[in-house]
Amino acid sequence: MPHYEEVTVRGYDEFCQAVSERKGKDIFAYFSGDKDAQGKSWCPDCVKAEPVVRGEMTHLPQGSVFIYCQVGERAYWKDSNNDFKKTLKLSGVPTLLRYGTPQKLVEEELFKADLVRMMFTED
Amino acid sequence: MAAFCRGRHRWKRTNCLRVLTRNLTGKYDYDLVVIGGGSGGLACSKEAAQLGQRVAVLDYVEPSVKGTKWGLGGTCVNVGCIPKKLMHQAALLGTAVKDAKKYGWQISGPICHDWATMAEAIQNHVRSLNWGHRVQLQDKKVKYLNVKGSLVDKHTVKGLSKAGKERILTAKNIVIATGGRPNYPTNIPGAVEHGITSDDIFWLKKSPGKTLVVGASYVALECAGFLTGIGLDTTVMVRSIALRGFDQQMAGLVTDYMDAYGTKFAWMCVPKRVDKLSSGALQVTWTDTHTGNEHKDTYDSVLWAVGRAPETKALGLDKLGVQLRKETGKIVVGADESTSVPNIYAFGDIGEGRPELTPTAIKAGKFLARRLAGRSTELMNYDNVPTTVFTPLEYGCVGLSEEDAEKRHGKDGIEVYHAFYKPLEFSVAERDASQCYLKVICERGGDQKILGLHFTGPNAGEVTQGFAMGFQCGATYSHLLQTVGIHPTCAEELTKVNITKRSGLDATVTGC
Repeated sequence: MPHYEEVTVRGYDEFCQAVSERKGKDIFAYFSGDKDAQGKSWCPDCVKAEPVVRGEMTHLPQGSVFIYCQVGERAYWKDSNNDFKKTLKLSGVPTLLRYGTPQKLVEEELFKADLVRMMFTED
Repeated sequence: MAAFCRGRHRWKRTNCLRVLTRNLTGKYDYDLVVIGGGSGGLACSKEAAQLGQRVAVLDYVEPSVKGTKWGLGGTCVNVGCIPKKLMHQAALLGTAVKDAKKYGWQISGPICHDWATMAEAIQNHVRSLNWGHRVQLQDKKVKYLNVKGSLVDKHTVKGLSKAGKERILTAKNIVIATGGRPNYPTNIPGAVEHGITSDDIFWLKKSPGKTLVVGASYVALECAGFLTGIGLDTTVMVRSIALRGFDQQMAGLVTDYMDAYGTKFAWMCVPKRVDKLSSGALQVTWTDTHTGNEHKDTYDSVLWAVGRAPETKALGLDKLGVQLRKETGKIVVGADESTSVPNIYAFGDIGEGRPELTPTAIKAGKFLARRLAGRSTELMNYDNVPTTVFTPLEYGCVGLSEEDAEKRHGKDGIEVYHAFYKPLEFSVAERDASQCYLKVICERGGDQKILGLHFTGPNAGEVTQGFAMGFQCGATYSHLLQTVGIHPTCAEELTKVNITKRSGLDATVTGC
């Protein structure tokens, strides 16, 4: 039984819904390009980063929430007006952020397990 | 027999050498431990790590009297340069919105400012910088510990965590970059209990309201400046002179502008006591040293800006014999940032006689790291450092003040070229430019080497930065005249300045 809650969502509305249902919790959100039927994302960095992030999840704080969010297809993502870019201010995928704080790791930073561990274990 | 005796002595010597070498490499936990994670400490530790050194940086913020605390990055990031410049910008935007009407913008009704919106945005930006620094340290393989560092002996540092846990680190070299904190005037009853300092002002969640700023340093004037600019009733209480150490003619222009734009000044006044009234407001009693009379007034906040004290008390320096300058409490340092103890170095605000500026701390830190890693022998050059005071009318300068130039070269040994100018943008906005001024102090005769350059006006920092490079290269007055101005700008007036103070002629710039 893991010490954190994992939630899987797809798209901006589902993401906001998941967050609003968990007010007051320490929420970590991981944004990735959509995966195809074979489970492979169109975003090559996301493919590389996911096992690194998953490898550090045992270090998530007790009682925290981990939201795995697929942002959409490549075309949706490339549109600079998409909700994730406009409202959440995401600059790229993959992005790992701690909701409500400026703590964020993007793209190549997510290839480094020690940075992910640092985010999960420090205040 | 004789040969054997000779051999034995040689063995003793070489064995000692081998033991010594073994101690130097691998005996210590770190090659470098830096105490202080501010502008200087971070720059030094990251540079050292990049050069292959094993580095640890210890950063800890003792909460202010009011309980304010902040993250990694030091004074500049958290309670200095960064939030200051952003609040200054907030104030300038207020003036700009007023000007905008004259430029045709249809803005209905009076505009008002919401402190909470500004504070939250700025505080969030600062937090993102804290995080950015944390990621950088981790990425560059610098060990970061959020502990209060102190010296046990010349190779041992003790770190005390918030929870009270102790940890010991040994280091080949130790660098102290702990900076300073604002002074409280402890001799004034009520000062500590009821007042705040620059440590607190940027982290307030609610507006400070009607504020009394005590002091006339750049911290005092910059804070009073933006508080006035966002619409708060603000008074500056000055004991004697403003911007001590800066060119006094320029200081006068800065305060004249602030006065014209709504900041109240209580000159030659000294606070006596601060009492809290039942309404919650603060009553300040002060003496006008000019008349000897006592006065009282009430404020929502009292901001002490009466100097900064170096963070040395808790370091254990006296135990190790690290020499401090008695008058200032700062660490006495050599040109290579060394202290009186061989492998202990100190730089940044903590160093005696050093400028209290971020860029000098960063550069000195990098140079020190390179020297300690044996990659360079270059020393930090503390001359020709430009700076800017971000008061409502900004003041940028590089080189000597007119007073210092006169002291060094004699009044007859210098030529001061000066001009009062009017920024083009002020014209349509119908703004008073009486204090927009510049002067270039040169050696009289010969090449007329520029000794000092002073400028008050919008974007003074941006204007001064470029001229600082010329200054560093030994620019002369004729270099200035050879430089073609960019039109229309305020900066171009520096390339056109030709009236001398000596001539007594009117220094007001007329059209192109």
